[in-house]
Amino acid sequence: MIHATALSKNFRVYHKAPGFWGSVRSFWQRQYSDKPAVKAFDLEIGKGERVGLLGPNGAGKTTLMKMFTGIIVPSSGQLSVLGHQPHARSRDFRLRIALVMGQKSQLWWDIPAMDSFVLLQRYYEIEESTFRRRLNALVSLLDVAPLLQVHVRKLSLGERMKMELIACLLHQPELLFLDEPTIGLDLVAQRKIREFILEWQREYGTTVLLTSHYMADVDALCERIVLVLNGQKRFDGGIRSFESLLGRQKYVSVSFEQPVDTQSAVWQPHDPQWQADGLQVELRIDEAVLRETAMAIFRDFPVQSFSMEKLPIERVMHQLLQETEVL
Amino acid sequence: MAGTLKAEWHKWWATVVINWRRLLAYKLNFLLLVIGPVLVFFFIRYQVWAGIYRLEGVDTLQGYTFEQMLAYQVWVMIVGFLALGFNGMNLAEEIRLGRISSYLLYPFGFWPFQMASFLAFQGLQLLVATVTLLAVWAMGWVQLQPLALLQGFSLAACVGLFWFQANFVIGILAFWLEETWVLRVMLVTLSQFFSGALIPLELFPKALAQALHWLPFPYLTYMPVKVFMGTYTGSLWQAFAVLLLWTLLVFGLARVVWRQGIHNYTGAGI
Repeated sequence: MIHATALSKNFRVYHKAPGFWGSVRSFWQRQYSDKPAVKAFDLEIGKGERVGLLGPNGAGKTTLMKMFTGIIVPSSGQLSVLGHQPHARSRDFRLRIALVMGQKSQLWWDIPAMDSFVLLQRYYEIEESTFRRRLNALVSLLDVAPLLQVHVRKLSLGERMKMELIACLLHQPELLFLDEPTIGLDLVAQRKIREFILEWQREYGTTVLLTSHYMADVDALCERIVLVLNGQKRFDGGIRSFESLLGRQKYVSVSFEQPVDTQSAVWQPHDPQWQADGLQVELRIDEAVLRETAMAIFRDFPVQSFSMEKLPIERVMHQLLQETEVL
Repeated sequence: MAGTLKAEWHKWWATVVINWRRLLAYKLNFLLLVIGPVLVFFFIRYQVWAGIYRLEGVDTLQGYTFEQMLAYQVWVMIVGFLALGFNGMNLAEEIRLGRISSYLLYPFGFWPFQMASFLAFQGLQLLVATVTLLAVWAMGWVQLQPLALLQGFSLAACVGLFWFQANFVIGILAFWLEETWVLRVMLVTLSQFFSGALIPLELFPKALAQALHWLPFPYLTYMPVKVFMGTYTGSLWQAFAVLLLWTLLVFGLARVVWRQGIHNYTGAGI
């Protein structure tokens, strides 16, 4: 589906000294530098895979997405998506992909979503009966039938995002790019969108490439993670091996009946994250010492509740960004 | 082949229809767009020329009686309706803010999308021009001759095509420039003056008027107006040929600029 070899993208950045005289000087003497956004990136994504592109802001995730969809032209390297060079933007290529942008509406703002869907039916050359069947299925799955005739600008963010998804899936793309699809949505809406994408992907075997800052999205939707830091690939593997990058650890949350000594030696080796009132702590404990640590906590502190789960991906990311040498 | 053509036609038509829906979504806005030029005509052009003839105390100016001057100005307004689209106005902003990214993903080109949008707008303008024309004809301000109307509408359509393409080129210069409105204002001001939209070209120095024949400007307003009035004495073929040549030139330029520009595009904002 996607084959990238030594893919790079540099952006030209214009520097201007601050202030009025800086502006005047820059009028005659412009200073530029090349900022590498993606460096020698290799990637292989097969049919039907669900891959999460992770990384902090400015890491190069969106630049990669833009190159994969043909919006921007790579500076160097080889890239083939669905057997096409994306930036050539051939008709066949565009008929087979879709990009959902959480931060940018692709629907026409001033008219009802249904009008946009009819336009997209024509653009993607979808036969009338197929269009009706797919539209009905999507509309009932996302429960938006009463909203089809409402002007897009009058929809809530969650409703609009559902419409964006319909717009992108009407032509049943083989390759679906999701760029922050749940950004700004409340928790219920986020969950619904996630469940919907997963259901859709399972039914049609669509290949999905996702970027998101919400780790719950990644956890729910991706089976493979590609970590990007400073434009370079730093990890590429299954989500479970990503979670165990920091060793075999468990995430433990303990709450107490009354405030406890936060300086106690029991906590220190386990990266304690305290609530301000000292009534609750979150710990990252190696499985090897889990049993004895848990016993010590129960013995020495007035434990009210104790819960344990595998390390959330959010925590792994946070830790990895601080300890990049682990990668 | 026939299937592909049919699919393409459907894309064009669907784009025209959606643009009509967008234009008519804000009814007051649309109404202002339509009646704006009519109001400008009555409150400015009519008053200015009535004042000039009154102050000068003359019956004719370079052969134009006040009634003929009024008819000239009415036709200028009609040509404006038919030929001046508003495409490209937001093009620069759409490029700068990365909004064209969506269009780059659809299996319908960006230029065809813009062209179809322009045609949709011009379709509505044609309706407005016809109604206005019938109204001023009923008032006895202009005379309508079938052949002149046919030639005038054809020439105005060519002018519209030229303006569309010129605006498109200026709009896509936003791949390099932060703002392109200065260039647009310069072009509109130049063309307003040299196209005879403000004053008839007979009032220009002879040498300048001669030189202008090889530039697109006189064909943008003056010629179509004279054709509509039935007083054009030059070669109609030359008018069409010069206009077509300039349109092709700007079309070629747009292709080069687009190819280079899309290479520089950074898709900001997503």
